[in-house]
Amino acid sequence: MKRILTNCWILGLLLACAPSVWAAEKISIVTTLPDLADIASRIAGDAATVESLARGVEDPHGVPVKPSFIQKLNRAHLLILMGLEYEHSWLPALVDEARNPRIRRGAAGYIDCSVKIAPKEVPGTLSRSEGEVHPAGNPHYNLDPEGGRAIAEAIFEGLARNYPALTPQFEANLKAFLAQLDAKTREWEALSRPLKGLKVVSYHRDIIYFADRYGMEIVGEIELKPGIEPTGGHLVELVGRMKARGVKVVIREPHFSEKVPNQIAAQAGAQVVKLPIMVGGAPEVKTYFDLIEYNLRAMLKAAQAAGVAGKG
Amino acid sequence: MHTRMFACAVLFVVALGGWSQGFAKEIAGSDIEELKKQMAMMEEQLRFLRRKVEQLEARPAVSSDPTKAAPIAAEDKIKRLEEKVDAAVAASRKTFPSQFNPAITLGIDTIGSYRSRNQGFNPGDGSGGRDDGRAFSNRPAGADFNLRSAELFITADVDPFTKAYGVLNASADAAGNDEARLTVEEAAIVTSRLPYNLTVRGGRFFADFGTLAHRHDPELPFVDRPPSLDAFVGGESQTNGVEVSWLAPTPFYLKMTGAVGNKLGGDTRNGVPANQSRPIKGLTYMGRVQTYYDINDDHNIEVGASVAETPNADDASVPPTGKFERRLVGMDFKYRWFPLGRGLRQNLTVAGEVLHDLGEADPVNGGRRVNVLGVPVRQGAWGGYAYAEYRLSKEWRPGFRFDYFQLQSEPLLVTNPGTGLFGSTRNAAGHRTDNRTWSPYLSWYPSEFQRLRLQYNRADRGNANDANEFFLQWTVFLGSHSHGFMERD
Repeated sequence: MKRILTNCWILGLLLACAPSVWAAEKISIVTTLPDLADIASRIAGDAATVESLARGVEDPHGVPVKPSFIQKLNRAHLLILMGLEYEHSWLPALVDEARNPRIRRGAAGYIDCSVKIAPKEVPGTLSRSEGEVHPAGNPHYNLDPEGGRAIAEAIFEGLARNYPALTPQFEANLKAFLAQLDAKTREWEALSRPLKGLKVVSYHRDIIYFADRYGMEIVGEIELKPGIEPTGGHLVELVGRMKARGVKVVIREPHFSEKVPNQIAAQAGAQVVKLPIMVGGAPEVKTYFDLIEYNLRAMLKAAQAAGVAGKG
Repeated sequence: MHTRMFACAVLFVVALGGWSQGFAKEIAGSDIEELKKQMAMMEEQLRFLRRKVEQLEARPAVSSDPTKAAPIAAEDKIKRLEEKVDAAVAASRKTFPSQFNPAITLGIDTIGSYRSRNQGFNPGDGSGGRDDGRAFSNRPAGADFNLRSAELFITADVDPFTKAYGVLNASADAAGNDEARLTVEEAAIVTSRLPYNLTVRGGRFFADFGTLAHRHDPELPFVDRPPSLDAFVGGESQTNGVEVSWLAPTPFYLKMTGAVGNKLGGDTRNGVPANQSRPIKGLTYMGRVQTYYDINDDHNIEVGASVAETPNADDASVPPTGKFERRLVGMDFKYRWFPLGRGLRQNLTVAGEVLHDLGEADPVNGGRRVNVLGVPVRQGAWGGYAYAEYRLSKEWRPGFRFDYFQLQSEPLLVTNPGTGLFGSTRNAAGHRTDNRTWSPYLSWYPSEFQRLRLQYNRADRGNANDANEFFLQWTVFLGSHSHGFMERD
């Protein structure tokens, strides 16, 4: 009996110490979204393993609260998130249950990338009558290359704060990423010229940063309010507005059904374009650079098909 | 003995060391992050000022002597901007007492219902046990509208080591002319920084027993609580006690929970009021283990087992005297199909729970468990429910539930079909009585914060008249309404 008890104590001790032993090799980074994972893996390089909780085709506002995420968060050294309440419906419950003080809000391992951006569409007044609004502003800043820059800088600072000895390595990786981003940004600016002034309608209010960057005008959304499904009256009004304003492109994000976008596009004589809002949202979109480029090319193709692409 | 003592000592030292170091690191890390944030803000301000300087320098000077006047104007401008920035930063750093207010959610749950028959003798009818005014299946025959609950959920961090939450419920009290009665459903303190994946919860809380017993009424996937849970647990799994849970450091999800409390749910078997002491063996000891497995990205399954044991030793102070043991065991499962990309608009949940109650105590009416002849017995009873819910779209979710349970005590008396009065006829069959309920339902979610639900119950009751029940439930949530991990779909 005594031996059994002793063995139980030793087993308990081993299990209790196990996380630190397993995690000794590399920095374990968990990100909420795949865009963050892609950029974090570039900045951290070989020093870290990076895993995203959400997949690119999912609705980032409604990722299921899977218990398997708990284990990942429990072992994570760093948690990287978009912030601005983007992940509010699922991340707080997971972090709370993960029992990992390193990644709790306010801890050193909690890296909120939104601290580096100037949010758009910060609501003047907060009311649920405006739908599922984000009190701190629109969180879809990853669709703007400048948002990508902010994400990279925030990740670098988070890594350097937690692992100062590796700062030179992270800094070199950051510089390489930003250099590539700068080069791509110039390419995308040239590529996007025909999109300037293009009027669009999207399903959800998630392309404001993308549209602003490349000079497009958002005329409306299919959703009645953010997160609220459209009513018949709203769709009638939207189609009327599309006709009046000459909107010829309807953007559908991959996690929304195609039925309503197709209907209103048919009524307004517009083209529907499926636009991923995260890395992995389309099979071709494997990196953050792919995401911006894919979206620009998809928009160009739709605008050309609708006969509304500018000359650039 | 020495080996055991040594192992204890090692474990204690490791635990203490790990904990204290963890605290120190976290606090230091938090301070450093705050400083970093402040530095980042200052850098932003400097960048802003630099841009302003550049803009000012680029402007043509108004003065007749541009070589002198422009720098002076720029410096003056910078100074004024610095003052503005300093004022703005100072203002942003002011704190107000209201900033520390906890997150608050108010859930309003109102129900219109119609019952074809009075359910009569039934678990939770208030005849000897629970009467919380919210057990809708126990209301008299006929139609009515009722505010089932107005639940105020409050939560906040207490300090770096603990958080706390409370759930106050103002429910309609049938016994009090339908005036609202305020009850504290939960008021608990929860640790947030214990080492080794441990969490301790203490106070009044809904114990981690099964999958639905710890959910508040507005959070249930149906209008009413499954009748088997009402019969075996007595509504919610409320207890006053302390609970320790441990997340195993395994590659897969494995969580174990142990708790001790005065009771479980609406248990009234030993006749001791909740606020009075009882022998150690008169407390209820609870345990649960649960695990989860991702079959693939779209399919997953969760299983768990729970037990609640009340040894209840001989003690003359506990009326009635004598050994009075009870053991409740539950096994639960949940299968979920949640396809990536369209899971919020189309998914399927199939879940259920099997319960077995064994003992000598009648958890509903108090006192001993008796057979049809009124003779005390030690016997088991089975119960459980299963349901399937399919999400057709973001807004519509139809579902179906089946519930079955046996009574822990044989009913001595049932309704006389002739007079309609209770207790006038002995159960002529003399065998165990079963209760079955079939419940199709349909939920409509106009938004995340509002839900309407229609439900029909066909109750085939061995101990009372069969009944048809119709419910229309309208539920809204005001405030933050953030789902906890335990309340996940």
